Amino acid sequence: MKYSIKLALSMVVLSLIFACSKSDDTDYFALDENLEVSIPANFPEMHYDISKNPPTKNGFELGKKLFYDGKLSSNGFISCGFCHEQRFAFTHHGHQFSHGIDDLEGTRNAPAVQNMAFQSQFSWDGGTSHLDLFPIIPITNEVEMGETISNVLTKLQADSEYQRLFASAFEDGSVNNENFFKALSQFMVMMISSNSKYDKYVRNETGGEFSELEKEGLGVFETKCASCHKTDLFTDSAFRNNGLPPYPGINDLGRAAVSGSTADHYKFKVPSLRNVAVTAPYMHDGRFGSLASVLNFYNSGVQDSETLDPILKQNGRLGIALSATEQEALIAFLNTLTDSEYLNDKRFAEY
Amino acid sequence: MTTLKRFQYLILAAGLVLTSCSSDDDATQNLTGENNLRIEFDNSVNGDDLLLNSSTYTNSNGEVLTINRFNYIVSNFVLIDTEGNEYTYPKDDSYFVISEEAGLSEITLTNIPAGDYVAVRFGLGVDQEKYLQGAAGQGDFLQLAEETNMMWSWLAGYKFLNFEGTFTSPTVTEATSFQIHMGSHGSSLDNYKELTLELPTNALVSSTLSPIVHLAVDANQILDGNTKIVLSEKAVVMIDEVKSPQIATNAATMFRVDHVHNGENLEH
Repeated sequence: MKYSIKLALSMVVLSLIFACSKSDDTDYFALDENLEVSIPANFPEMHYDISKNPPTKNGFELGKKLFYDGKLSSNGFISCGFCHEQRFAFTHHGHQFSHGIDDLEGTRNAPAVQNMAFQSQFSWDGGTSHLDLFPIIPITNEVEMGETISNVLTKLQADSEYQRLFASAFEDGSVNNENFFKALSQFMVMMISSNSKYDKYVRNETGGEFSELEKEGLGVFETKCASCHKTDLFTDSAFRNNGLPPYPGINDLGRAAVSGSTADHYKFKVPSLRNVAVTAPYMHDGRFGSLASVLNFYNSGVQDSETLDPILKQNGRLGIALSATEQEALIAFLNTLTDSEYLNDKRFAEY
Repeated sequence: MTTLKRFQYLILAAGLVLTSCSSDDDATQNLTGENNLRIEFDNSVNGDDLLLNSSTYTNSNGEVLTINRFNYIVSNFVLIDTEGNEYTYPKDDSYFVISEEAGLSEITLTNIPAGDYVAVRFGLGVDQEKYLQGAAGQGDFLQLAEETNMMWSWLAGYKFLNFEGTFTSPTVTEATSFQIHMGSHGSSLDNYKELTLELPTNALVSSTLSPIVHLAVDANQILDGNTKIVLSEKAVVMIDEVKSPQIATNAATMFRVDHVHNGENLEH
């Protein structure tokens, strides 16, 4: 009897080993499964080709671990999550500029991480048009994570936990740059924010009842803001000069740093306005502390220049005329874009 | 198989080899199997050997250069035979860094089908198609590029050419650094170039023949090609809507086939 149990057990163990070695010669690991990626009804088409990198449970978990791991930086402390905190829609709340290794400071405000799979340009100047390759920018930026991709991989390759996680997430199981970038993308592809009060309003769902003021704000938004903050992603992914006076001492040329074109001077990617109420400070350089200041700027602070967006120079007036009541209504509307479900979603949380 | 039969086959095979050697006219028909084809990139400056941090080179812009770095990416190799048939080397394996400082001066294309090749076509840089494959397309090439200073950080993209050093000119008398980094400008400007080089002697590939194509690469063309790039005007050119495409076009004319070695187990 005892013997037969032993035999049965060893057969189970054997079959497990066999099953694993058949797939890829590694130790036992959690079975993987595909994650469902559903496109919200009010969203445009997804830009990211998920057939090339379909998110799986293990790939997503690996991507999340990488997102929160300081190993990706040269001093071991600065993770992606350091500047991209969930409760502020993955921005660096209270920090005008991104902070990196050795207390170095960048020149731009950390943008929100949300609905990345729907975007076609990444970073304020569109330094890359592929989500997979975006992490190269902060990882190798000397004032952000100050590391090289080769060094990151060397560190991960030496870590038995990562060896196991890569093996569990990818068919070839290698700790290499392809799988590293794929895992990070899988995590970011899943980060969809689509359940704000506004979303429920446009989808006629419960919890989507707008007040009169919010409705009025939506009206103002549609006539005066939506030409750039398009679709329910609230961006057209274009690069535009919105007339901010150049930041003293920085003179960030924006898109021109990527295109080399003087016609692109001071143009930055139109940011999404999702969760905008929690992502202060505002603008690419984080100069404004409140939405009220942003609206004041559009009403009366827009500065003319050769590359100022023509939309902001119509009928002989700079900027966008916004009365005090319109501003009040707009702010009420912008507050409906906060998606608490996303800000508190345990799937994306560090702890 | 009896020993006798084997012997007969051997005779037959030897006969075939002998015939193929003696007949030049229909060489292609007798080339079978596959083999390596190597391409050597012999860097020079206007006919002189390119020596890093040492010689000075004077160009027709009246500028005297000392070169500290000369790296570039070559890619997407295609071999063209006498019939005009093209053999495209597998794309995933078709990206190489040539680097004077890292001693990367020769590439080996493996498993090339037997043939009588008259031309080679390749790219200078990385095409958009490859870049837009995202994680899947870059492979270990990305790390090689990073380690050889061929990656841009803020652009998350490849430098196709990295040419650096110091220069003096009639107006710039103190040795001044120059940096020419050329690549595509994100999604807004594609600087990838393809070029075709005819071979002065056909390159023969078969199970026994593994040729070496010896290219002479003239770094002088970068600044002193069709469009003159004057360092005294701008010594650091990385992303420039006007000059970067001119540099790309100039750099695509750096390559010339000096000679082809045909034979077996060649050393050169």
